[in-house]
Formats: sequence, C-alpha cells, structure tokens
Amino acid sequence: MSATLLLARRNLARNRVRLLASVGGVALALSLTLALDAIYAGVANQLTTYIDRAGADVWVAQGGVRNLHMVASTLPESVVDQVKAVDGVATVTPILEATDTVAAGDERAVAYVIGLPADASMGGPWEVVEGRGQVGPGEIVVDLAFARKAGVRIGDSVGVLGGEARIVGLSRGTASLVNSVAFVSIDDFRAMRGGAPVVSFVLVRVAPGASPEAVAADIERLVAGVTAQSRSTFVAQERRIVTDMSADVISIMSVIGFVVALAVVALTVHVATLARRREFGVLKALGARNRVLYRIVLVQAVLSVAVGYAIGLAFTGLLGFAVGRTDLNLELAVTADSLAKVGLFAAAIAGFAAILPIRQVAGVDPAVVFRRGAPA
Amino acid sequence: MTALTLDVRDVTKRFGDGETAVLAVRGVSLAVQPGEIVLIMGPSGSGKTTLLSMMGALLKPTGGSIRLDGTAISELSESRLPDIRLRQFGFIFQDFNLLSALSVLENVAIVAELAGLRGRAARDKATTLLTELGLAARLDFLPEKLSGGEKQRVAIARALINDPTLILADEPTANLDSKIGHEIMRLLRSIAKEQGRSVVIVSHDQRIRDIADRVLWLEDGAFKDIVTMATDPVCGMAVERERAVSAEKDGDTFFCCSRGCREEFLGGLREDGRADGRQPHGWSRLAGALRSRRRRASTTQSDAS
Repeated sequence: MSATLLLARRNLARNRVRLLASVGGVALALSLTLALDAIYAGVANQLTTYIDRAGADVWVAQGGVRNLHMVASTLPESVVDQVKAVDGVATVTPILEATDTVAAGDERAVAYVIGLPADASMGGPWEVVEGRGQVGPGEIVVDLAFARKAGVRIGDSVGVLGGEARIVGLSRGTASLVNSVAFVSIDDFRAMRGGAPVVSFVLVRVAPGASPEAVAADIERLVAGVTAQSRSTFVAQERRIVTDMSADVISIMSVIGFVVALAVVALTVHVATLARRREFGVLKALGARNRVLYRIVLVQAVLSVAVGYAIGLAFTGLLGFAVGRTDLNLELAVTADSLAKVGLFAAAIAGFAAILPIRQVAGVDPAVVFRRGAPA
Repeated sequence: MTALTLDVRDVTKRFGDGETAVLAVRGVSLAVQPGEIVLIMGPSGSGKTTLLSMMGALLKPTGGSIRLDGTAISELSESRLPDIRLRQFGFIFQDFNLLSALSVLENVAIVAELAGLRGRAARDKATTLLTELGLAARLDFLPEKLSGGEKQRVAIARALINDPTLILADEPTANLDSKIGHEIMRLLRSIAKEQGRSVVIVSHDQRIRDIADRVLWLEDGAFKDIVTMATDPVCGMAVERERAVSAEKDGDTFFCCSRGCREEFLGGLREDGRADGRQPHGWSRLAGALRSRRRRASTTQSDAS
C-alpha cells in the first residue's frame, strides 16, 4: 500500500470513536435503503410465488387482465376446451380465484382462495407438510403459518367464501406478509359464488419443446376475448405492481438514507481533515501536490463509506436471517439491482462528502509549518 | 550532487495594504554557497521565519528575487513549486512536524514516494538513512513514542531523503536538551561539510554559532551589524563589545561597562581581587571573564551577502 493511502487509512483509524460513529452512521443509513429494498423484493417474491410454483407455462385470463392480484378475471368455461385445442398445449387446468378471508374463531386472515378441479394437474399446493393437497367437496388446504396462528389443525373447520370447509391439508410457502393462499374445490367455489359456469384463469402446460411465448401468442390469436402470457411475462407483470406501489416509498427512504449517510461521512471527513490540517500543510511544504492531498481525503471518504456499506449489507443479511426465523411471513430478498443501486449511492456519498474537505485542503498554507503548534 | 547556490536579492515581503501594511522583510540580500552553514539570528518578530519561508518557496516575496541554482524560484508558478520543494529543499522544524499517524519509517518513506520512488525502494532508502542516523531500532515506532532528539533525527532523515541541495532549519535545537541539541548541531555540520549541502538555520540558540560559517543578524526585517556581547567582569552587566571599555590583562581582552569598572577590575586584580572594599561577585567575574575570552569574533556585516 502506498504511503499516501496508508496515511489516509491511519488518519481515519487514529480516532476510533469518530471512525465508529462514521462507519456506523453510514451502515445504518445504507442498511435502511438496503432493508427496504429487500423487504419489497421479498414481498414481490411472495406475491409471485403462486405463479412461479403453480406449474403452468402459460396463464390465460380474461381479455386485458395481465395480473393475478388486485384484478378480477372471468372467463366462460367453454374457453377451457378452446385453449386445450391450440397446438402446443399439453394440458390445461381451470381455476377460480378470489380474495377473501379465512376465519377460524376470532382469527381472520386475508387469503387468495383458489378453486381447484378434482383432477387438477396444476395450480395446487406444491409443498404439503401435513394431510393431502387434493381437495374435494367441503374441504380446504390452508397455510401452515395461518393454521398455527389461528390454532387450527387437520379436521378443524374454517369459514371461507361465506361457507365452511374442513381442513384436509397444511401447506408451506403459501403465505406472505399480507395474506396466504388457500385451496378449495372448484365446485364449492362456484356454488358459493352463485354457480355461474365461469373460470378465472386457465393454466396451461405446453408440450415438450414448445415455446410458452409462442403458445401464448397462438392462444390469443385463436381464442377470442383472452389474454395469454407466459409465466415469466406474468411474473414480471405482477412484480411491476409491487414496484409501482413501492417506488415512491423506496425513493423517499432512499433519499433520507442518502442524506443521513452523506451528512455523517461529510462531517467525519471534514473533522478528520480539520484535525490534520497542519499535517496537510506539512505535506504541502514537503512537496506534495494538491492532488495527492485530495486523494488522501477522498480515500478517507471512500474507506468510511465502503466499510459502512459492507457492515450495512451484513446487517441487512442478519436482519433477513432473523426475520426468517420468526412467524412474520416476511422475506427479505437482497437483489443484485439493490446492491448496485446502494453501491452507487455509497460512491456518490463518498464523492460529495469529500468536496468540502478537499476545499479545505486546497486552502491550507504550506507556510503553516513554521508556525508553532503542537509538536508531533 | 550538483553544487548550487541560493541567491537572495533585495527581497521584500509586505503583508496587508495601505495603512495596515506590515513590511516583514525589507530588501534583504544573501548568497549561500555549497556546503556553507548560515545562521540567521534576531529577535522575535524580526522576519526570520518569513525570510525562511520565502527561501523555501513556501511564500512569495513582494519584491526582489530568490534564485536556486540559477532558477528564479520566486518567479515560478505555484504549480511548479511542489517539485522544487520536494527535490531541492529539506526542511527541519522546531516542532518536528512529523505525521502522527505514520511510523518513523513511513514518515521518511512517504517523502521519497512523493518524489516518485516506488513503495519498496522508498522504504529501503528510508531504512538505510534512518539506520545511519541511529534509528534502526525505532523504524516502526510512532512519533509519539520517540524522544525529542529522535524526532528531530527522523525529521533530518526526512529532509535528506530526496538528496536536497539546501537544508532549511527553523529552530532545530529549540525543543531539545543541551546534549541532544549538540548532537543535532554536529549532524547539521556533517550534512554541510561531508555531504556538501548548504544549510540555512534560523535560531535563537547561541550554541549554533559554533558550527555556523556565517552568522547574520536580522532585525526589523533587515540584516544589521552584528553586535557582539560580552559580560563586564566587575558588575556582570551585558555590554556591547564595540561600545565597551576594554581592558587588557595577561594577553586577554576584557570588556567593561564603564571606566570605573575597568579601573576597579584592573585595580582589584592587582589588589587580590578587591577594589574599594567592594567584593566583585566572584561567580559573575569568573563567568564574565570566561565568556569574554570564549566569545568568537563574528564578522560585522551590513550587507550579509
């Protein structure tokens, strides 16, 4: 390591309290942004889990409907056969879907209720930890976390869609921060909703070698009044909802984090530079060019931010781990995009934080070396 | 090393403007030859440090010129001065001015690195120099762990690392005890006489006169005639030799404040050290005599160049 970089590092490390305050402040500020990003990414993951794990390659919905959540899709039952007839379609499973509450005693929880045919090859729970995943008349599969929270078990009855259903299975991975997914018989679902011969979505598994995108396009071309999307497109659409909902909040919190971190680092580097003002003058008198001194200041800022960033990342990781071990149904997902964004934030913070100290250093008079001061 | 000369011509430095202007240095001229040690003395506020700052290219003169090896450094733009400071000058300060966060070795090596030497080579060169100065066992110490003499030796090593032409020392012995001060003086002398570097020292320390080739007296921003002080052997009063009443005795010259003291001195010596029944202060008498004998005659200069 060159002596100038060493000097930057040592200057920072000389005052441990100041260094800790600086690095801690940066870590907290950046982890605020990182954690928020991670929470929203986790929520997005949870919201798209059903689409990802349902087993369908193509999702067919009412024309114009491009999301699963926060919209309603209604298709005539006849569409199912039309879709099945399209080339490249291997199997289809119609489902009914609605947002409802599942009630057990005083415990009421929002749930996406999925109505499944008895012979469904797709759309059912993918990890059943107790009981079975197939649902018949009057039966329901609920999420394990909900069951624990509500204090119900296999064989107990819960209220759903205005009626009652008996729990026959407990699933895992079907709950998010705000809701869970419950599975009932499609016939029960239809009966409880007036018996109209409709479905919400048609799940399609394409034939081996067929392209989901091509099959989706064919379905849209051949079946009137539907919107067909490959799973990846559907997931992307779903994530966009979360992004749209969270963008403002994340932006505000990011700005707050940025400003806090900037203030902390700028103050720390400013104070560290002031404290070493005479030594910068000594270096100037000895022949150091201004750019060498600027580099020392900038390295101090970058080191503070880099260490703070690493600690912030570690803190967010630990937070995610800790949250994962609670019953919160909250997932923190640190994404590469988030790392890059916060990394850019950190770089900008280091750059801005160094501006004022660099101006101070530029103004240091090298003749300060001849003024009497504290001996080294 | 190329033999170079510092040539200061009619240099003036004024701070401020108008009625508040202060003329810190007034038309000073000085030439320093290779291997020469020049000591600049003078009362506080006389402009010594301002002059030293200008000679070290740390401060621009208001008028006049300063040339180093024929290059008018006082005319150079600020962007060219760092190289001059780095390679042509070695600075030694009263407060040592070591970088507190760096070890002894790093304090010296960083200056070599600034001059373009790579890390390993810079450290090797610094190690060699520090070892020569007796600091081999202190290479990894922080400055705060060193004695004053050790700190000054580190500062001297730092001043020498880039093989400078001219060493500028500001009160190099001020914060040191007598023994260490002498050690530093010997070191400065060897730098000048054995390595051929010019050394300009600003100091109040009379001891440095012993190693100086020339002593200049700066007062009110200008070089003045040097006043050589002596101590009256009778009353112990400090007197200017040139204005004192001299007395010859046993081949030595003594300086008295008045004819009375002279007569008393000469008579007292004749009469077992007593005069008019008044006992001269024995200590002051002896010390005064010794000082008078030891005082080295210095060149009287109105123009120090």
